[in-house]
Amino acid sequence: MNITRRAGMAALAGATALTMVGAPLAAQDDSIVVGGSLPLTGVFAFAGIAIEKGMSDYFEIANEEGGIDGRQIEFVYEDTGYEVNQSVAVFNQLTSQNDIDMYYGDSTGFAKTIAPELQRRGDMIMGGASFASELNDPEEFPYIFIPGPDYIQQVGILLEYIADENPGASIALVNSDTEFGRDPIETTKERASELGLEVVEEIITPPGAADVSTEVLRLRRSRPDYIIFHGYVLSPIPEFVSQIRELGLDTQFMGTFWSMDSSLWQSVGEAADGFLGVMPYRYYYDEEEAPMLDRIREMRPEYQATGYMQGFFSAMLMTEAARRAVANGAELNGDTLKSALSSIEEFDTGGIIGVPVSVKGNAVPFGRVYEFNAESGQMEPVSDWIELED
Amino acid sequence: MIIGTAKESYPADEALLTTAPQRVWMTIFVIALIAAPFVLSNYWLYLACLAMINVISATGLNVLTGYTGQVSLGQAAFMAVGAYTVAYLERSLGTPFLLNILAGGVIAAAIGLVVGLPSLRVKGLYLAIATIAASFILHFVFVNWTAVTNGNSGATLAPATVFGIELATYDRLYWLIMPFAVLLVWGAANLFRTRIGRAFIAIRDRDISAEVLGIPLLRYKLMSFAIASFYAGIAGGLWAYLFRVVTPESFPFLTSIFLLAAIIVGGMGTILGGILGAVFMTLTPELLRVVVDLASVFVPDAATLLSPVRTIVFGALIVGFLILEPRGLTEIVDRIRRFFRLWPFRT
Repeated sequence: MNITRRAGMAALAGATALTMVGAPLAAQDDSIVVGGSLPLTGVFAFAGIAIEKGMSDYFEIANEEGGIDGRQIEFVYEDTGYEVNQSVAVFNQLTSQNDIDMYYGDSTGFAKTIAPELQRRGDMIMGGASFASELNDPEEFPYIFIPGPDYIQQVGILLEYIADENPGASIALVNSDTEFGRDPIETTKERASELGLEVVEEIITPPGAADVSTEVLRLRRSRPDYIIFHGYVLSPIPEFVSQIRELGLDTQFMGTFWSMDSSLWQSVGEAADGFLGVMPYRYYYDEEEAPMLDRIREMRPEYQATGYMQGFFSAMLMTEAARRAVANGAELNGDTLKSALSSIEEFDTGGIIGVPVSVKGNAVPFGRVYEFNAESGQMEPVSDWIELED
Repeated sequence: MIIGTAKESYPADEALLTTAPQRVWMTIFVIALIAAPFVLSNYWLYLACLAMINVISATGLNVLTGYTGQVSLGQAAFMAVGAYTVAYLERSLGTPFLLNILAGGVIAAAIGLVVGLPSLRVKGLYLAIATIAASFILHFVFVNWTAVTNGNSGATLAPATVFGIELATYDRLYWLIMPFAVLLVWGAANLFRTRIGRAFIAIRDRDISAEVLGIPLLRYKLMSFAIASFYAGIAGGLWAYLFRVVTPESFPFLTSIFLLAAIIVGGMGTILGGILGAVFMTLTPELLRVVVDLASVFVPDAATLLSPVRTIVFGALIVGFLILEPRGLTEIVDRIRRFFRLWPFRT
């Protein structure tokens, strides 16, 4: 027993020593390196795994087409478990082993934590899974970008749709009591009154709440035409939807990007029919003309979730920013990459987004409203692509 | 083999380091601590800082749970109190960072006193539930007292500065965190050479007997809570300077369990146990990450495929240690020490 223990200790010590010395995985000299703190385990793993596939696929496509001016793109990433501590650890690990030009972060908390470090280093730009509107401020977060509309803009797209379809409609806002959930509330109320919509109820649910009957009673009293859910992935939206449907209310339900994956809603079944929401990208199965989607379907014959599209588009923006910076003859760093990214205008995404897109501020404020069809199990577009002004 | 450690006075008997090898190892360890920032990469320095913060907090919890026998699942909430105090002082008053960190400790200790009150009536699991309740109340305060905590979006703070030098990089933060960790652990070790520490142990072993012996339970139980919370507050304050943003989600309830697990895995009721446990719990997931990296040479997409395995292995390691080393990692160190002390006669 003693011997095995001793051997075990020795092995452990050896392993530790080996890793402390650490053989840096030296990147090819002139390759462009994209790093990532990805949530491959934990509560956000469903998105993290999809994002990883999307990003890897796009970089593979870009590399096949000759990379960026002949330079290959290398993607290095590690799992974070969706914990800020670990995301920072991964960032430090990857940056001490590689010369990273662009980065993908997994949460708002991480983006805010690492922002001062990005500014101090000044050698990279960062996108990520967070659409927090706070990050959409080029003054305060000069090296961060959001690969889509921020949460205020997402709800803004929904409001434009409502104002267009049903002028003067009444709205209820249901948000989770998290940073993610509370993000768009204040601005949404202002925007709604500008558009002549009335916010008749505001509900904040504790994270992880499963019993929503009291909230449903409040909604029954206020009888909104639309209920906008934000700050959830799925639960407790289905509980709200089924209880309100049982009460016979004629209400439309809406969500934002992270609750818009059709495979999530398939498991809910009939009650999910007619669920509306904003989606910044096309779905895997969309039939409209889209060469890049054809390419994706060729590479991956099975359905890819919304996270995949998010990762794919993030990689696309990063690649385009690097391409423009290299074309300008500039050295790659935070400033040159960010100004290259900001110069993106009327950019053709190959159909990942249905219209040519532009970067405004730190975000890409384009989106479209989709509706879930329980019979086909797919999200179907119900609006044109909406670009937010201002 | 060390033949007899003759002690000629009571101070010699009470000394923290009683033998020459212990002193040699401690010297080597201190040199290693001082040399670390010059040798380690940024990544390992970050982990060192994080591990030391966890060591401080776990040591505090060890005083309360390991030595005084009061089970607490509120340690993370006290860390949050320290972190928010530091964030508030730094943002609104701009007071020096040392003062902020100490204030974080003191305020956490004050709240710890209040949270400790139920310990006079309830013990064991019941007390654990009471501390959980306290941590949820504190969480509610963090979310809703927006004037101080800035609510859900959290408080961002400027780096600590010494004579105009910003402590923004890990090699500099190390010099802030390491002395705190050393001082506080040293303080805890010394605490158990005093009347107070012995009173704590007496309470743990049998509180009624302790009271018969003339130990006022009220004062000492609350003191233990205050000390544990003070450590947590300091750890939280250092955490705030390390991450520079504090949100209600920075110190989830899971952190309390993490710290309790750390002292159980390390060895309850020993100072070394708190240190080993916290370091083990902080670094093992990262070491396993390295294993995944090494495997990526053979397995494509190793990070995606093996990351869930990493979590399972980490859990299995904890269970394994609990079964094979119920007295914690500190027992392994003791066994090694015994081996060399008795060598070559009995191994």
